[in-house]
This record gives sequence, C-alpha cells and structure tokens, in this order.
Amino acid sequence: MGRKMKDVLAKSIIYLATGITLCVLLFIVGFIFVKGISLVNWDFLTRDYNEKVFYAFVQEEVVPMTIDAASLSQKDPYDKRYESSLEGPIYIENIGAAVSKVAYKNNATEKEQFVFSYIEKDSPLLSATDSTGKKLSIGTDYILESINGTDFEGLSLEDVAAQINHETGELKIKVVQPGGGVRSNIITTLYMVLVSLLIALPLGIFGAIYLTEYAKPGRLVNIIRFAAECLAGIPSIIFGLFGMAFFVVALKFQISLLSGSLTVAIILLPVIIRSTEEALKTVPTAFREGSLALGATKLQTIFKVVLPCAVPGIATAVLLSIGRVVGESAALLFTAGTVAQIPGTLFSPGSTLTVQAYYVAKEEGNIELACAIGIVIIVIVIVLNILSRITSDKLNVFNKK
Amino acid sequence: MEAIKRKKLKEKIIENIFLICACVAVISLLAITFFVFYNGLKPFVSNSYSLWSFLTGVEWRPGSNLYGILYMFVGSIFATLGAIIIGVPVAILTAVFIAELAGSKVGKLIRFAVELLAGIPSVLYGVFGLGIIVPYVLKISPMAQGESLLATILVLAIMILPTVISISETSLSTVPMEYREGSYALGASKIQTIFRVVIPAARSGIMTGVILGIGRAIGETMAVMLVCGNPIAGIPTSIFSQIRPLTTNIALEMGYAAGVHQELLYSTGVVLFIFIMIINFTVNKLVKAKVGS
Repeated sequence: MGRKMKDVLAKSIIYLATGITLCVLLFIVGFIFVKGISLVNWDFLTRDYNEKVFYAFVQEEVVPMTIDAASLSQKDPYDKRYESSLEGPIYIENIGAAVSKVAYKNNATEKEQFVFSYIEKDSPLLSATDSTGKKLSIGTDYILESINGTDFEGLSLEDVAAQINHETGELKIKVVQPGGGVRSNIITTLYMVLVSLLIALPLGIFGAIYLTEYAKPGRLVNIIRFAAECLAGIPSIIFGLFGMAFFVVALKFQISLLSGSLTVAIILLPVIIRSTEEALKTVPTAFREGSLALGATKLQTIFKVVLPCAVPGIATAVLLSIGRVVGESAALLFTAGTVAQIPGTLFSPGSTLTVQAYYVAKEEGNIELACAIGIVIIVIVIVLNILSRITSDKLNVFNKK
Repeated sequence: MEAIKRKKLKEKIIENIFLICACVAVISLLAITFFVFYNGLKPFVSNSYSLWSFLTGVEWRPGSNLYGILYMFVGSIFATLGAIIIGVPVAILTAVFIAELAGSKVGKLIRFAVELLAGIPSVLYGVFGLGIIVPYVLKISPMAQGESLLATILVLAIMILPTVISISETSLSTVPMEYREGSYALGASKIQTIFRVVIPAARSGIMTGVILGIGRAIGETMAVMLVCGNPIAGIPTSIFSQIRPLTTNIALEMGYAAGVHQELLYSTGVVLFIFIMIINFTVNKLVKAKVGS
C-alpha cells in the first residue's frame, strides 16, 4: 500500500513537472500572440520602421470621383490603432484623391494630420516624381504635410481642400510615408542569413568532410572537436565583444552587415560542423567502398556518392543555422547595429528582427510592438522547426533502406 | 603518368583545403581568446586600473572612475543558482516523462514543444519577463520596482529548461533496456525502477545537461538585461534586489564606452570567458568519463 501511494505521488509530480513545462511554453507563446496580434497586418510587414519624409512633384489634373460618397466614407482613414478620424474624407478633384483629417497618437506624441484615405486609379499622385524625375509611389495612409510651400498645420480640412484645388500646374507636395513596420528588419534578417551562411556553410561542410573522411583519430582531430565544442559553449555576448574588437575595429569593417555576418558565421560553425559530421557518418561505408572499387578517386567518391547521401543532414544544418541567425541578438548589437534600415551595401548597418524587438522593448518600452515583432519571429521559428523535422525524417528513411 | 600525377596533386591540394576549413574553428577560438584577453588585460598591465579594485569593487561608476565587478559577479552566481534550483528538477522530471512514461505520440508532441521553447530567441523571453513576470514581482515586492533577482531567476529557470530536458532525455533513453528489465524482475515498480535504476544510470548525461544549463544561464544577456534592473552598485541582499550580471554590464555600455572604460568592459568579458571555459572543460571531462566507462 505504502509503495503504491509513493508511486502515485511520484508519478503525479512527474506529470506536474511536464505540465509546468508545457504551460510555460503555451503561456509565453500565448502572451506574445495576444499582446502583439492587433499590430500585425499587411502594413506592419510592408512598412519601414522609420517615417520617411519626401517631396513629390505632381502634375495637377482634374480626375472625377468614380465611387459614390457613401463608399468613400467607408474607406479606412488609415491606421485605426493610432488614429481617430476627425474630419472627412473630402474628395479633391485636381489631385484625384480623398483626404481625411485624423488625430495621430503614438506613445507620448499626439498631433493632427491630413492623410490620403482614397486615391483614384487615374490620379496624378500615382505618377508622382521626385526632383530628379525618378518615380515615387504615394499610397493611401501617406501623410500630407504641405503643398507648394503652404504648410497645413492647424488648418481645417475644408481649407486644405480649397488650397489644393486652388493650385494649378506642377504641384510640389511634402509627403510622409508612415513608419511603424518591420520591412527593413525582415530584409536585413534575410541578408544576414544569406551572407553568414555563404561564409559558414562551405567552411563547416568542408571541415566536417575532413573530420569524417580524411582525419585519422589523433591529436589534431581532438583539438578541432574540442575547439568546436568550446565555440558552441561561448555566450553570444563574447562573440559580440570579439566581433567588435576584430571585425569592426581591427579590420575597419565598421558596424555593418559584413561585421555582423562574420560574427554570426563563427557562431554557426560548430552547428554546421556537428550536423554535417553526423550526416556523413550515417552514409554506409559500403557506398564508399563500392565507389572506390569502381575506380573513382576519393574526391570523386566524396562529391558524387557521400555528399549527395548526406544532403538531408546538411539541409537540417542549414535550417538550424537560420534559426540561430534569426534568434541572435547579443552578438549583433555592436557588430551590425540597431539602425532600422535596409543595408545598402555590405558595409552599412542594419538591425535584424530580434535586435529590433530588443530595441523597442528596452529603449522605447513598447511591449506591444516587441510582441508583434515576436510573432513574426515565432512564426519563422515554427516553420523552420517543421521543415527540419521533415528533412531529418528524410535522413532516417534513407538509413532504414 | 603525367595525368595521374596531376590528379594526385589535385586530390592532395583539396584535402589540404578541407584541413584548413576544419582548422577555422580552432583559429576562431584562438582569435576570440586573444582579442578578448588582449583588450581585457590591457588596463591591468598598463596600470591604468588596479586588478584588485576591479575584482573586489562593489560600484560601477564610469563617471567617477570606479569600476568594481564583485557585486555583478555575485549577482550572476545568485541568478544562476536560483535558476538551477527551480529549473533543473522540472526539467529532469519532464525528461523522465518523455523518455519513460509518455507514449510515442505524446512524447513526440512534447519534444516538439521543447524544441520550440529552445528556438524562441532570448529577447522574447526578456519581453515576456518584462510584460508578465516583472509586474507580478512588483506586486509582492517591498521594493519600488519589479526588476529584480527574482524576476531574473524565473526567466533564466524557463530558459534553461530546453537545454536540460533534451540532454537528460537523450541520456535517459540510452540506458539499456536490460537494466529496467532486471529491476522489474526483482519486483520493483516502474516508478521505483525510474528513480533507483534509470536516473542513476543516466547520471553523467544529466549532469552534462545541468552544467550546460549553468553555462546558458551565466552567458544569457538579452533576456536578463530587460528584467534585472542593472543597478550601478550594491551586492544583492534579497531576492527583490536589483542585480547587474556580468553579461548585461558589457551589453549595456559597450555601445558608447571608450578608453579604459571600454577595456574594462572587455575585462568583464574575460571573467565571464574564464567562467565559461571552466564549464566547458568540466563538460568535456564528464563526456569523456562517460565514454570511458
């Protein structure tokens, strides 16, 4: 009896612990989704983080409204989360677009703005150019600040409409592209993944080939294995310190995409070496012997027989690596920077999604936005997990045969 | 003859290229060690700051030229210990559930959950801590802020779960079936077998998991930075005190530090590095001992 009680007790403690683990996961993921989901939409994914102010030149041209007044007022007066509609919309014929007045709220700042709420298909706004004649795009949601030097601040919507209708010829309008999105961070993350994999993959795969196919057990192999293990155990902040001292300062790469990618590439090395080694080891020796017996050289055997068999394992390594790059932040803080912009060259800085999430949580105290970015990251992580499951199953299928 | 020679030469060259690639890991490790130590030991070698006051000081005020890391060191140790005390039992029991009690479907599901937990970037744990744990700690705390040792411990305890679970689970499932059968044959129940036979047999693997968990907790930066408070002085006296672990000290000020201040941030890195290396060596020894037996 006593023993049975003890068993039941122990079992329930085990169940409890497992329950705690699962609840913690659900709670974290749930928290991030609940907090952030209201911010995630198409605009969030396609806008840059920072607002962009620019001057656009538009040829005035009268375009009649093609929709009725009722459906015009239905048009979303831009982002409802930050704004409440004050006036409008009013359709302005000579630019072929409707403008609303909204109250814009963002953290501490609150101001009134004029916003394009509807643009006709034939509107001259769609063929706007900058001062050099390059085409610009103006969309709904863009903020209208001034026209031909007349600032709209403090005016009523009627005054603004009258002012615009009064102007003729080429109009010079000051427009603000709204921010708050993560497009630049998504693209920076992609660049970071690409560049760091380009550096780390060949090094890791060739290294693993040496370790499994050429090296004889001995001191050198032990040292290499030990180094890879040590690298895997070093916290990313140390990599960040090294990246800053070596790539940023000593090699003068500045805080840039390249410095960040090189730093991350070192972090990826042990992951890639280990996964590739595992995959190479699962290729049966008989395959190698068969190939060698047919007169193939060792190199031919490796590239034509062994490596193709190990492809699922290498794919798993790639997926794991992508996950690491997406999740990395401490190593990138001082090597790739926290500027939310798309790095134009290898030598310009840019912040990845994760760094951006840190930045908005720490520097701006905006947990909702951090969670919204978190949703994007978690979706990426889940997709990667599922994919890596599929690829590693492929490897197992091959083994069973 | 010429052709064969050329072919052989090509093979040899490519083999050496592979060798060089394999050595990149070693070179990187050496370079990291060199650069961190070179920058970190500079202020002590050139006597611009005394090593003793660096290691025993309890104030970090770059403005008044005071750089002591003892209180950070203590904070790091407390946070890690707390996380291990809370996290490890939960993790080991979860591993036991996956390896011994769960059916293959349920086990797969939980394993997937654990992998997901491992894949969530540390920043998001920090955001979670800042959004949920910190306000909650504030409710029960006598202090004016929720950022505290307790909040750090809780976040770290969650973060070490996946590491400890997956390594313990692997080592539990490598325990030979005969051990269990022998135990059953002697009349032991399933639970008795797990606690008296399987877990002791998987001891060294579980130990490795725990030590790697310690490594993760000590090295964690971004999550901790959001929930620990980062005070400029003071050894933590209660679980509600704010702490400033070694890692966050580096991350907080590296962006703008210069001169001796920057070098001393590298010195903080050196202390952290030595810590981690000791852990690495221990793991290495443990794994070797396991292979040896």
